[in-house]
Amino acid sequence: MNQSQQNNINKKQKKQTITYGIVGGSIIAAILLITTIWVSNNARVSTNQAVNKVSEFYLEELAGRRAQVVSEELKNNFAYINNALEVLEDSDLQSQETLRTFLGKVKRLYGVDKFALIDENGIVYTEHSTTSGLSQYNFLSEELTEPIVRVANLYGVQKQVILAVPVKNIAFQDSQIKICFIQISIDKMLSSLTLQTNYNETYCSIYHRNGEDLAGGDFGNFKAGNNLLLSLMEANIDNEFSYEQVENDFINGKLGQISFNYHGSHQTLCYIPIENTNWMLTILIRDNVISDHISSISSDMMYRGVIQIAIIVLVIIIVFLALIHQSKNHSKILLEQAKSDGDKIRAALAQIEREQAAMENIHTAMGSGLWSMEFDEKAQMLSCTWSDAFREMVGYKNEEDFPNKLESWFDLLHEEDKAGVAKEYWDTVRDYTGEKTYDVEYRLLTKHAGWRWFHAAGRLSRREDGSPITFVGLFVDIDDEKKMEEQLEKHKLDLEDALAAAQHANRAKTTFLNNMSHDIRTPMNAIIGFTSLAAAHIDNIEQVQDYLSKITTSSNHLLSLINDVLDMSRIESGKVKIEEKETSLPEVMHDLKTIVQADITSKQLEFYIDTADVVNEHVLCDKLRLNQVLLNLLSNAMKFTKPGGIVGVRILQKGNAPEGWASYEFQVKDTGIGMSKEFLEHVFEPFERERTSTVSGIQGTGLGMAITKNIVDMMDGKISVVSEEGKGTTFTVSLQFRTCSGPVIQEVVPQLKGLRALVADDDFNTCSSVTQMLSVIGMRPDWTTSGKEAILRVKLAEEQNDEYAAYIIDWLMPDMNGIEVVRRIRGIIGEDKPIIILTAYDWADIEEEARNAGVTAFCSKPIFLSELREILESPFVIQSTKTEILEENVSFEGKKILLVEDNEINQEIAIEILQEAGFIMDVADDGSSAVEKIKTAKAGQYDLILMAIQMPIMDGYEATRQIRALDNSAFTNIPIIAMTANAFDEDRKAAFAAGMNGHIAKPINIPKLMELLREILK
Amino acid sequence: MLKKMFKNKTEKKKLKTKKFIFMVYIIAFCIWSFGVTGCDNKVDNQTLRELDKSNLEAPSDESNKNSEDIAHAVDFNHELDGYKPLKKKYNFYFTYKTVHPWWDAVALGIEDAAKQYEEKGIIIDYEYLAPNAASAENQIKRLSAASLQGFDVIGVDVADVDVVTPVINELIEDGQKVMTFSSSDAAKEDGCNRIAYVGNTHNYEDGVELTEALCKKLGYSGKIVVLVGTKGAPCHEDRALGVQHVIAKYPNMEIIEMAYDEDIVEKAYDFTKEFLARYKDIAGIVCCNMSNPVGAARAVLEAEKEDEIVIVGMDHDQEALQYLRDGIIYALGVQDCYSIGFDTVQVAIKIADGLLPGEAYPEKTEETTTIIYQDGAKEMLRTLYGEMD
Repeated sequence: MNQSQQNNINKKQKKQTITYGIVGGSIIAAILLITTIWVSNNARVSTNQAVNKVSEFYLEELAGRRAQVVSEELKNNFAYINNALEVLEDSDLQSQETLRTFLGKVKRLYGVDKFALIDENGIVYTEHSTTSGLSQYNFLSEELTEPIVRVANLYGVQKQVILAVPVKNIAFQDSQIKICFIQISIDKMLSSLTLQTNYNETYCSIYHRNGEDLAGGDFGNFKAGNNLLLSLMEANIDNEFSYEQVENDFINGKLGQISFNYHGSHQTLCYIPIENTNWMLTILIRDNVISDHISSISSDMMYRGVIQIAIIVLVIIIVFLALIHQSKNHSKILLEQAKSDGDKIRAALAQIEREQAAMENIHTAMGSGLWSMEFDEKAQMLSCTWSDAFREMVGYKNEEDFPNKLESWFDLLHEEDKAGVAKEYWDTVRDYTGEKTYDVEYRLLTKHAGWRWFHAAGRLSRREDGSPITFVGLFVDIDDEKKMEEQLEKHKLDLEDALAAAQHANRAKTTFLNNMSHDIRTPMNAIIGFTSLAAAHIDNIEQVQDYLSKITTSSNHLLSLINDVLDMSRIESGKVKIEEKETSLPEVMHDLKTIVQADITSKQLEFYIDTADVVNEHVLCDKLRLNQVLLNLLSNAMKFTKPGGIVGVRILQKGNAPEGWASYEFQVKDTGIGMSKEFLEHVFEPFERERTSTVSGIQGTGLGMAITKNIVDMMDGKISVVSEEGKGTTFTVSLQFRTCSGPVIQEVVPQLKGLRALVADDDFNTCSSVTQMLSVIGMRPDWTTSGKEAILRVKLAEEQNDEYAAYIIDWLMPDMNGIEVVRRIRGIIGEDKPIIILTAYDWADIEEEARNAGVTAFCSKPIFLSELREILESPFVIQSTKTEILEENVSFEGKKILLVEDNEINQEIAIEILQEAGFIMDVADDGSSAVEKIKTAKAGQYDLILMAIQMPIMDGYEATRQIRALDNSAFTNIPIIAMTANAFDEDRKAAFAAGMNGHIAKPINIPKLMELLREILK
Repeated sequence: MLKKMFKNKTEKKKLKTKKFIFMVYIIAFCIWSFGVTGCDNKVDNQTLRELDKSNLEAPSDESNKNSEDIAHAVDFNHELDGYKPLKKKYNFYFTYKTVHPWWDAVALGIEDAAKQYEEKGIIIDYEYLAPNAASAENQIKRLSAASLQGFDVIGVDVADVDVVTPVINELIEDGQKVMTFSSSDAAKEDGCNRIAYVGNTHNYEDGVELTEALCKKLGYSGKIVVLVGTKGAPCHEDRALGVQHVIAKYPNMEIIEMAYDEDIVEKAYDFTKEFLARYKDIAGIVCCNMSNPVGAARAVLEAEKEDEIVIVGMDHDQEALQYLRDGIIYALGVQDCYSIGFDTVQVAIKIADGLLPGEAYPEKTEETTTIIYQDGAKEMLRTLYGEMD
């Protein structure tokens, strides 16, 4: 076959192919066209039928919902009226003005056109008017018994809906209000209904059951204001419906539908009654509008379908041809590009190899290790690779030892660093913006070198959506740098602490000096000033006495300041030791009471000591320091409480102590001036004083609380304070002591078991604690806080033949004093039963009167279980629990004292004091002189030596030792009393160690000195 | 040269403009003159009353040719004039003859005016009260009581000029501000010192116009009866006087009976029934208030004489307008009650502010009456009550 024949065949084949293509394409296009037209026509017919059916349901549904909306609107409005009437108060009916204000508020609140009340004369009251309404509102002509809804054709205004309710029992200005109503424009009330759709296909309106138009707008072809039923008479109604049916439905208020031709258009009307009204809600739909729309849509669809098919066929052909052409060109380009790409890839691979080699060199030089991770599109890790350099850094040789897994590295992380490293890792991986760099320092457990610090940094390459592809980073060993940093930081902190301590010490010194300067100068100023004044008025005895009294006060204050400062100094220097001795808590509390009683009385304060649940009364503790703590707190309480106030101490035993120990809480409470919140934070700091106390002139060193706190700390206790300015303060000291005897006997006393006891005390706490103690010993206690009630209870018990076997009565009760209560109780019960007076005061003055009244015994507050038990167990004889200390009168007249004192002034003072007391005085100027005098003295020449300690030539200790070592038996045992300014406890001990019999501190407290002399010379 | 020509042209143009302005002034003056004359004719009742009977012309047609007349019979589109009240709150007292729907229409005007003032921040509180039956004595008591309550202005629709005038004068002497309003005035010529009046100033003319329409319909021949209203009430009496004057003009016309129905529908009905029973040849009934056209129409309809008897009457009662629509009543004179109420409030504020009649407001504010025939009834019903059928 030659070339020409081949060309002809090719041409023929090409022509044939084109012919087949054209014919085939035409057939497909024709089929598509015909199918589209057929489908469109069928769709139009079916749509028409469906629309008709659906419109019936739709109309009923639509009408029903809108009728419900109107009904709800009416109900809401009735609710408004009822709500308003409920809140109408007499004050609103006081005048026309108040009523108008009320009506105005309601009107605005509910957004109605008018809110009004109508009285029995038909007068209508609204927000701004009072009008005669009989002719305007036709419902006034009938007796209103239930709420009504009316549509009023009021002159000139659009139809108004009036909702009126009958009203009862409301009078205004001598007339009864009979009706309350609201008036709303029907348009406004029906505003919630969309009466006409946007496309003018559906209409909604409201008619009266007689056909009267209520809504006042055109309803399709029915004009506004026309009677619907009358208009329908002109309509051409479809066969399946009848006018009579519609008329009956309207009259009877029934739901229904009707289709008809009116003014040239076919329409369907649906009507439904509105609940509680004579209204019919009507919905109208014009069928032709819908069918026209459907036809238009169908034709449009068909037309568009044909055009669409033509375009599709055309586009398919064009695309087909373009694809063939493109395919040819593309193949050619691909071949050329493949060749070019091969060259580029080879060059790139060579470049990568060079760069990798360079990187390896860099890592080796820097001591860093490379790692990398690969991720899929969901950010899940696909692989993890650790470089050998990194493996070596952590002490592993190959992949077998340290596999390419994340866990290999993560498991070696320090527990404290794991969370931070994990967070940094995930923050970097999940940062789809790609801005974040992974940069973290952490400790890693190396195989041979333990924990070492590493620094890791890395970056991610990401896909277009931000998801990670490759995460590449470096590890660097920074352990040496890190340790260096830590060391530097530690040095820095140490230096800062040292600097702070030095600064603090410096500040403390300055503060101390300032405070001391002020606090010493203040009393010194008084002493010097009043001394000058006394000298100037030496002839005026009264004035001099007054000055001396003031000098004494200032001196005492100065002394207490010095004592406190020294005490504080010793505490801070650690010289004070806690010495535990067997201590009786009842004794501590009674001593405390004895010490403060005088001040309490002079300051006219009310004072109580109360105990609760104290089971262990004997403990091992430093009684002296415990006393000091409690006294400090009590002194403060008394100092800052005004006359008439209350000061109290309460001791509670807590149940939280380990075996062999007892836990106590000492509460010192006052109703004094209290402390500010600001001061409370510093109350335990030295020299801190509340500004109000300094202003008020209450004296103090500002050291008492600091000393107290230090002592409590030394006793391993805790101290806390609660205070409110003007109300008072409560200090609570919690201490734990070892018990030195078993608990107080808690067994029932057999002879008292089941017997009744009556406690009468105006303090509830006392009643409570005594009652509890009585229960412990088996009695049946009753208590009262009233003296009068106590008497009544006694009478009642007598009547019930269940008498009390013991009575514990407070001495001072507000409604009746205890003695009177006892007298009356004795009048009822006779003389048999014991009556114990419980008191916190000294009863010596009233004892005789009390015993005459029938008191069996006295008992001092605070009372402990052991004491109560002792009293009740003992036979009830007339006795007093108070141990009277009969002072033995020791006469100092003629007694001879050798005063060993190097200071002349001190000599003069001592001689004056002691000679005045009757002593015969001899003086030695130092220890050696004293020893000499004793050596040469005759028997009976000296009865006692008063020895100073710090003296030239020979001090007091040495002199004492030498005297005690003398052969002269008449004086080796002579009483020697240290009289010294060395006033500390260790000084005292040293004195006794040297062989002295007593110790008295300077400055001399004369009563104390006399007491000591009396004791020793007894 | 060119400049000269241009100058001449400009001068000519100026001359033309001057001529045009002059013509406009002439036309405006003519229109103003016509308006002023028209007003005078309408306002001056006394002049009208003294007009020669021959000057009273009957309406040329028995229909409302111009529907604009109906649209403007009652002007519901009132807006407040530009006056700025001096106070933020006013308190007025209005009393009128009797509780009746006619005054409810006035009340609507008052209420709307008060609402418009409230929108401007001025509160109008008011009492608008009347006895259930017209009584001059009751009105005097109300006025006396109101004078003690410190109202800014007291407004009164005079029940009886002779009885109420002395009381108004006493109140004025006591410093009270008293005005008259709505249907009945007690004017200066009656010896009353009230400050101003707002309402119908042409009751006599209304009576004349209605009767002329009736006469024309009857061909100026026939016997008629007149239902007046309340004895002594100026508006009713004035209308009745107009009726008498017109009938007296036509020799073949005769008033055979006049009755005072006290503006009560039932009484008007009873009177009409009696007349129909007594006189078999009644050709027409003239009704001088709002109630009696309804009462008369009911009686005529009941007697089935609606084709024989022509009824004319006053006002806008819905039932009366329905009778007009249905051809039972021939014509109704509809007063613009809404405007009466609205203007009453505007004038009362000016009086309260101490202004006297003059530039701020006239001594008598006249409100219109429009005669409505059958072809205008539907539109009237729609305008007033939203009703078509």
